[in-house]
Amino acid sequence: MSTRFVVNGTPREIDAPPNTPVLWVLRDELHLTGTKFGCGIGSCGACTIHLDGQAIRSCSVPLSAVAGKRVTTIEGLSPGGEHPLQRAWVDEDVAQCGYCQPGQIMSAAALLAEHPRPTDAQIDAAMQGNLCRCGTYQRIHRAIHRAAGSSAPATPSGGARRP
Amino acid sequence: MTAPHGERPAISRRDFVRWGSLGGAALVLGVSPSGEIIAPRRKGRAADLAPNQWITIDAAGAVTIVAARSEMGQGVRTALPMIAAEELGADWHRVVVRQARPGVDFPDTNTSGSSSIPDMWHELRRAAAAAREMLISAAAAEWRVDRATCVVDGHAVIHPPTQRHLGFGSLAAAAAALPVPGDPPLKPSSAYRLLGTRVPRVDAPAIVTGRAIYGLDAKPPGTAVGVVARPPQHGAKVARWNAEAARRVPGVIDVMQISTGVAVLADRTWAAIRGRDALQMEWTEQANVLPSEKDYREALEAALGRGRTARREGGDVDAALASADRRMEGTYSMPFQAHAAIEPLNCYADVREDRCEIRVGTQSPSAALERVAEVLGIPRERITIDVALLGGGFGRRIERDYIVEAVEVSRAARRPVQVVWTREDDMRHDRYNPAQANRIIAGLDASGMPVAWRHQTADYHLTMFGDYDPSFDPASSGDPWGGFDTPYAFPALDVTLALLESPVPTGAWRAVSYPAAVFARECFLDEVAHATGRDPAALRLALIPSPGMFRGSSGQRPNGDRLRRVLTLAAERAGWGAPLPATRDGRRLGRGIACNEYHRGAMVAQVADVSVGAAGDLRVERIVCAVDCGRVINLAGVEGQVESGIAWALSALDTEIGFDRGRTRQSNFSDYPVLRHTEMPAVEVHVVSNDFGPFGVGEPPVPPVIPAVMNAVFAATGRRIRHLPLRPRDLAL
Repeated sequence: MSTRFVVNGTPREIDAPPNTPVLWVLRDELHLTGTKFGCGIGSCGACTIHLDGQAIRSCSVPLSAVAGKRVTTIEGLSPGGEHPLQRAWVDEDVAQCGYCQPGQIMSAAALLAEHPRPTDAQIDAAMQGNLCRCGTYQRIHRAIHRAAGSSAPATPSGGARRP
Repeated sequence: MTAPHGERPAISRRDFVRWGSLGGAALVLGVSPSGEIIAPRRKGRAADLAPNQWITIDAAGAVTIVAARSEMGQGVRTALPMIAAEELGADWHRVVVRQARPGVDFPDTNTSGSSSIPDMWHELRRAAAAAREMLISAAAAEWRVDRATCVVDGHAVIHPPTQRHLGFGSLAAAAAALPVPGDPPLKPSSAYRLLGTRVPRVDAPAIVTGRAIYGLDAKPPGTAVGVVARPPQHGAKVARWNAEAARRVPGVIDVMQISTGVAVLADRTWAAIRGRDALQMEWTEQANVLPSEKDYREALEAALGRGRTARREGGDVDAALASADRRMEGTYSMPFQAHAAIEPLNCYADVREDRCEIRVGTQSPSAALERVAEVLGIPRERITIDVALLGGGFGRRIERDYIVEAVEVSRAARRPVQVVWTREDDMRHDRYNPAQANRIIAGLDASGMPVAWRHQTADYHLTMFGDYDPSFDPASSGDPWGGFDTPYAFPALDVTLALLESPVPTGAWRAVSYPAAVFARECFLDEVAHATGRDPAALRLALIPSPGMFRGSSGQRPNGDRLRRVLTLAAERAGWGAPLPATRDGRRLGRGIACNEYHRGAMVAQVADVSVGAAGDLRVERIVCAVDCGRVINLAGVEGQVESGIAWALSALDTEIGFDRGRTRQSNFSDYPVLRHTEMPAVEVHVVSNDFGPFGVGEPPVPPVIPAVMNAVFAATGRRIRHLPLRPRDLAL
C-alpha cells in the first residue's frame, strides 16, 4: 500500500506498511538520515520533524498519519544550512557529539515560527522534550535567543529538578 | 605530602588496549572545517608533502591532518588537528581533518580515560614540525638563502630580509623530495597563536544540517538490518525459541541464533524490530543472583571493612583514632547507572570469505580490529574499520560486544548487515557504572583538625575489562580512585578497597570510579567542617599541602598549589563567604563547595548554589567551576567539557539502574529520566592555563559536582544526603 506526502518540498510516494513510524520511512526509504533514532517512544526528541509546520516526534507518528501532508526534516530546513538557528548553533558552538542537535533545531524552528521573539518560558516549554546527554542546554537556550535576535540571558531560566 | 606513586599508574582500565595492529591508512567520513564531507583519499600523490602518516600538504596548499581518536563530543577532531596546525604554522581554515582507520599506520586509535590530548601531544607536534622544517628547507633552497633566516607564518615560508614568501602548496612538491628530519625543533609555546583560543568544532556545519554521519547513518542504502533478542536476565542463555510469528512479519528475511541471543534480519529497521518482538523466547536463567538493588548496596556496605590495603601513610591510623579527641564516621553510596547515549548502539558489518568491512561509532577501533580478527580468524589487514561519529560514548562504546555481534550476524547471514539496538536493548544490556559504597572514619584533634583518616571503598569489578581477579592489588592501579589519590595530607592515612565480583555487566562510565568516592570524601569533609565550626573551603586549604610537589615521569608540578588555586578561584568567583539569604520565594537556599584532582593531572573546584522547595524539589541554580588542565588546546572545548561534565553528574543525582533478580528494571528515558533543558543550571567556567600537561578534560569536571550540590543541600536544609538516588521526600519539609 502506498502513501503520498510531501517531503522537503518534493512529492513522494512510499510503499510501506501504514503503521511504519515516519522516522523509519525517512531513514530507510528516503535515506534522510539527519532525523535521528533515540528512544522510539517520543521521549527524547532526536527524531523531531515538522508536520505541516508543527514539531512532531517522527518515531511515534505512523506513515498513515502524514498522508497528503507536508513533512520538513533537518535536511529541508534551509537550502544551505543558512537558517538563523543553524547559524546561531554554529556561532554559539552548541554541538558536542551533535546527535540530538537536528532534533533540537527542528523543535526550536517550530517555536520561532510561532513565536519569533520567544520568552525564556516559551523556550523552556518548547525544548523540554529534547534530551541532550552532552548537556548543551545552556548553549541551546542562548542560540535560540541569538537566532531570534532577542536578548539572551546567560542561562536557561530553569534549574528545576523533578518534583 | 607528595604523592609516592607514579602519575599514571599502569591501570588496566585506562590503557587496556595498546596492541599494535596491521592495516591500511585511509578513511571515510571526514569533514573539513568548512563542513564539507570529504571523500576517502589515500596519501601518496607525488606532488604531496606527506612526511608521515599524520600530515599531507597538497599542491593547492590544503593541509590534511589525521585525527586518530574517536569523536564523541569531547572535541578531539578539532583539538588534535589544532596541535598539528599550530606547530606547522598552518592557516586553520585550510586544514582538512581525516579520521584514522586503525591499522599499521595508526596502531592505537583507542579513546578513553581523558587521555587523547596528553597521548597525542608530542607525536602530533613532532609530525608537524618535520613537515614545517622540510617546507623551510625547500624554500631556502629555492631562494638560495640560509634556512636559519627563514620563518613560517600564515601557511607560508617567509624570508624577512628580502620579504619573499612561498605558500605551503607551492613548496609541497620540492619539500617532498627532501629527507624527513628525525628530531625537528619544536615551536616555543611563547609563539603559539592558535592553541589556547576558542575554535569552533570542525563538525558543527555538518551537524546542524543533518549531514554528519554517525554509526546509525553509515550503512549503505538497502542493507539488511538485524535486531537481537537478548536474555532479560544478565547471564541467562537461550533455551528454546520459536520464530514462526517473526517470519510472518513482512520484510523479515531470516532468523538465527548467535552467541548473545537470537537475531531477526529484515529488509528494513522497523520490520526487524517488529520481527524481534514477535519472537517467542525461552531462557535458561540463573538462580544465584542478588534479588534487588537494595541487596547490592547491602553487599557493598558489608564488605567495607574487609578491603585490601591500597595505601598507608604516616602514623598508625588505629592508634591515632584511639587517641583522637573526637571521632567521626560517615557511610555513603551511589547506585548503578546507565550510559544512555542518545544514539543507541549499532554496527554495520560485511563479512566475506576472506575479508570484513565494518562501519561503527566506537571508542576502541584498534581493540575492535584485534577482536574481529580473532573472531573471524582472518588477518587484520583484511579487515577495515571506518570510524563514524559517535552519538555519545561516555565509556559504553569502549566495549566491543556490539561490534562482535554484528560480525556474527553478517557471517551467519552471509550478507552485509547493520545490527541496531533499540533504546530498551541499549539500557537493559548496558555495561553499567557499578554501585559503590564508601566509609570514611576520621580522628580529630582538640582544634578540630583531622589527624587520622581512614577511607574504605567497596566496589564491583568492571566486567568490561576482564574477569574478576580475587587477588587484585588496588595499589598497583591507584585504586580506589579518589581515595588513593586524595589531595589532602593527614598525619595518618589508611585507604582500602574491597572489590567484589559483579553479577551484572559493568564498565567504564565517564570518570569511572571517581564520582562515588569523591562524593563521600568531599561531603564527609563538609561534615567535619560543620561539626567543628570551620569554613569548608578554609578546611580544604588547610589540608592541601603547598606546594604539594608531584614528581612523575613527565616532570614535576606543584599539584597542591594548583588545586589551591582553582579552589580559591572558584570560591572568589562564586562569592563564597558572602552570606546567602536563608530563603527566597519560599525556597531554602544553600551554597556548597567541592574539589578533586584527576589522576594527578587536571584540577577542578566547583561551587554550587541550590534552592529547595517545601516539597523537597531541588533546583541547582548555578555552578561556578574553576579548572586547571595545564596547557589549554581549545578553550571552547574546555568550557564545553565542563558544562557537559556537570550535566552528566547532575543526571545521576536521581537516576538509578535497579535489578529484579538480575533483570534490569529500567528500559527507556521514561524510567531513566536524564537531565532536561530546564534542569540545567547556569554554569560559569574559569580556566587556569599554564605550561603543565596538557591534560584531558572530558572526565575531570564530573567528580566534584555531586558533592558540591549535596554540600549546598546541607547548607540549605540541614539534611545530610549520604545515599543516592535523591528523592524529594529526603528534602521535603
